[in-house]
Amino acid sequence: MQPYKYSRRAFLAQLGLVTAGGVLAACAQPAAGPAATTGQQAAPAAGAGAAEVAPGVPRTETLILENPTGRVVPADDFNRWRPGIQSASTGLQQLALDALWYIDPDAGIDGVWDNSLAAEKPIYNEDFTQMTVKLRQGIYWSDGVEFTADDLIYTVDIQKNTPGLAYSGQFAKYVDHMEKPDDYTVVFHLTEPNSRFHGLFTVRWSACFMMPKHIFEQQEDVVAFTFNPPVSLGPYVLKDFDPNGNWYLWERREDWERTTLARFGMPAPKYAMYVAPGPSDKKVMGQTSHDLDVIHDIAPEGMITLARTNPTSRGWFKSFPWAHPDPTLPSVIYNNEKPGLNNRDVRWALTLAIDIVRVAMASYRGAATISAIHVPPTGLYPQYYFDPLQDWLHDFTLDIGGEAYKPYDPDASLRIADEARKALGDMVPTDVNEIRKAIGYGWWKYDLDAAERLMLQAGCSRDANGMWLLPNGEPFKIALLAEGETRPVMNRGAAMIVENWKEFGIDASLDVRDNASRARLALLGEFDAEFGWTIETWGGHPDLFFFLESWHSDFYRPTGENAVGRNRMRWKHPELDRIIEAIQRLDFDDPKGIELGQEFIKLAAHEMPITPIMSYNVFSVCDEYYWEGFPTAENPYTNPVANWANTKYMFVKIRPKQQA
Amino acid sequence: MRKFILGYLLPRIGQYFMVIFLGVTLTFIIPRFSPNDPVERQVSQIMMSGSQVSPEAIEHLREALTEMYGLSGSPWQQYWAFWGRLLRGDLGPSLSTFPTPVTKLIADAMPWTLGLLLTAVLISWLLGNLLGGLAGYYTESRIMRAIDVLSQAVRPIPYYIMALVLLAVFAYYIPLFPFSGAYPPGTHVEWSLSFILTVVRHSILPALSLILVGIGGWFIGMRALASNIVSEDYVVYVENAGLPERTIVFNYVIRNALLPQITGLALQLGLIFNGALIMEVVFGYPGMGTLTLQAVMANDYTLIMGITIFSIIGVATSVLILDLIYPLFDPRVRHQ
Repeated sequence: MQPYKYSRRAFLAQLGLVTAGGVLAACAQPAAGPAATTGQQAAPAAGAGAAEVAPGVPRTETLILENPTGRVVPADDFNRWRPGIQSASTGLQQLALDALWYIDPDAGIDGVWDNSLAAEKPIYNEDFTQMTVKLRQGIYWSDGVEFTADDLIYTVDIQKNTPGLAYSGQFAKYVDHMEKPDDYTVVFHLTEPNSRFHGLFTVRWSACFMMPKHIFEQQEDVVAFTFNPPVSLGPYVLKDFDPNGNWYLWERREDWERTTLARFGMPAPKYAMYVAPGPSDKKVMGQTSHDLDVIHDIAPEGMITLARTNPTSRGWFKSFPWAHPDPTLPSVIYNNEKPGLNNRDVRWALTLAIDIVRVAMASYRGAATISAIHVPPTGLYPQYYFDPLQDWLHDFTLDIGGEAYKPYDPDASLRIADEARKALGDMVPTDVNEIRKAIGYGWWKYDLDAAERLMLQAGCSRDANGMWLLPNGEPFKIALLAEGETRPVMNRGAAMIVENWKEFGIDASLDVRDNASRARLALLGEFDAEFGWTIETWGGHPDLFFFLESWHSDFYRPTGENAVGRNRMRWKHPELDRIIEAIQRLDFDDPKGIELGQEFIKLAAHEMPITPIMSYNVFSVCDEYYWEGFPTAENPYTNPVANWANTKYMFVKIRPKQQA
Repeated sequence: MRKFILGYLLPRIGQYFMVIFLGVTLTFIIPRFSPNDPVERQVSQIMMSGSQVSPEAIEHLREALTEMYGLSGSPWQQYWAFWGRLLRGDLGPSLSTFPTPVTKLIADAMPWTLGLLLTAVLISWLLGNLLGGLAGYYTESRIMRAIDVLSQAVRPIPYYIMALVLLAVFAYYIPLFPFSGAYPPGTHVEWSLSFILTVVRHSILPALSLILVGIGGWFIGMRALASNIVSEDYVVYVENAGLPERTIVFNYVIRNALLPQITGLALQLGLIFNGALIMEVVFGYPGMGTLTLQAVMANDYTLIMGITIFSIIGVATSVLILDLIYPLFDPRVRHQ
């Protein structure tokens, strides 16, 4: 056998080429990669205007946003009124659909409440059995047909009478009949008193959007109808989309002045493109290359990379913790019917066995906004609930063995800031007020001694290995249901809570399930505890009925039956019922609602049916390379989280970056 | 011929249909053992988006969705209805994207996966086996040793890590290739040279991530097989007989070492119906991998079943074709 000779020369020549390529690669500067970490990055040069995101679509006139749904399948289905629709966040609900009212999760563009398609707020009769809606005039669908009361009546009627549409059950239950005094007025006659009926038509993240009667009434099957192309009621129309669902391109309507957003000016971007940028690291690459203006959410590590490498990236907060706090409250949701967990002292012991600093560091690397009370510390809630209750929290006591114990730790957020500063240095604020605003107020003490005394008070005991036993002598086990790869921050937070409980002597384990399994088990009550959320609020409006309604005992279902709404913890309390009924009897804007909300918070703190942890913080990052004027904590006119329908207000406030 | 049909062909065709029947049946059963409920998933999604959640409204919705999704009736009724639809080529509606037919979703995604993976598998198979065969024969060649070391180094790297590395290097630091997708935004799918070239350019990095790792695997396997064959009597004989090296390498060594690799290729070709899930996610490629991920995440019974059925039929058909053409490659089978 001879050594192989034939292609050595060729091989070496090719090897030389590859090596040269490698050397060039090593020497090459990143395309638009890690930029200098100091100083201002240049605005797009005039020549940059030549770049296009699609044929005939200049980059400088286009806002590119992440669609967190990712690739949309099927791509050509825009029937937003059918459950399971995938295309909601492609710009459809943000730019093309409209609702009667919007409540902003932050301060709002002109106050938190916006009469969008409605000309004024809902008008109820005295016993809340009628709701009158006055519609705005001069609003047109993109095909030139005027929006009138007929559309509103059709929207409600078709859903009421078509099982399988998203609001069919609710309209069937609440709407007796409707009347139309004129083309711009609709009177709803309700089947029972309901002071919050307008909530169905009020956007928090979404709502019941209006349907174009003239389009849908021509369809034989409104459930199967794909509404492609969507006729728009918003300021943009669908110009083009990827048949494989990776991008959607919207163009500003010629007649944008005939839409409700025109009250605030012309939307600045002529085009908007919603894209599926892929995993976190690709989002970082995309934004540092200035190909992705708005990131919907990214891993904390990705945010830190952007903060260090891309001077034009901007979070909600100027620096740490950057993220926008959603009006959503991740909590430890106990099944209040499980042995041990049905005891308030045990639930409080488990709360005092959680080290919030370690949980914040594990989940968000410290960039969490913590909450000791049962509402999210977001939007305007600090002024409605957190500030007024600080004194009460300081003085709040638990009875442990006949002694009054004060569990509140007002400095928890300061300790989180100190811990985060070890890794992130001066990115982390030092000013106490800034820390309060960004990382939250206080939390409950991490006090294993007090937790131990509460467990003993509940009749529990430790075995020879120091593990806790129930009063009947059985081991006290808790499997904490948690999300997996879909939300790493939730997974990591849950893992740390389990770690804390194990250190305290609880036989705790992490039970990671896919979203569908978690939803099913939680609804059935087939769980010990879950790290998720059951509390969501309007954010900008103090009314708590949004989540409290289904906490009333009328909605209670025992373990083994599907919970209705948000009472997965199966908590019942006569005082809670009283508060909910009192809120329901009030007008939506009645200031007494805040007092009742505070009463609820005090009751929940006392009973601790679930342990509140923090707001769900979304690392929405806006790149101020092509556009500026995005909403921030300093200018909170709406939230920047790209899939919220409220982000339409962003389009009239941002402006193109001054060309060099 | 009669003996071939009765003793070889018919049993294999029977086995083929039996495998598909059992596979499809299992595909129907397994999701129903899952604790997940697509109806509850939709219900909880809806409850997340509205503030009015009366028990009656939820029950109303639950019943409507169960009926619409075809999940009413006993499991037996659902099973026979499922076979009835399947034999008519109807895999039912997707549950997560109701009422879109499963066949439409698969038909949209399949060409991208087939185009990318078929090309990648065939290229890596051809190159890996060619280089492996040469390395097995020219054991003293430094070039082949270098390739051997490279293959050993590359082989354990998961293809998706390779994908990320390639993406960072050739789309970010040296922007030679696009970030993601199968074609640029604003481009429309059409049969034109410019579109085909665009698609090819978009597919280079995803394909390369599969090819580089794939070549390593085939190379190592082929090198081991060829090394054994080199010491066989018939190879020594033809070397002594003075046949040209090229003839020895290709006609005696590689050809005989290729038989197990053909089996491997057939199985790999069957599996490409599943797509390369993580690679497709990394590159935003609109193929079967991302479709599978979406189906699993949404607990979409019917879509999962549709994709699995395609995979079962793909693998079974590949094996059947391999069985039928194997006698052409292996005279020992012909003789039997």
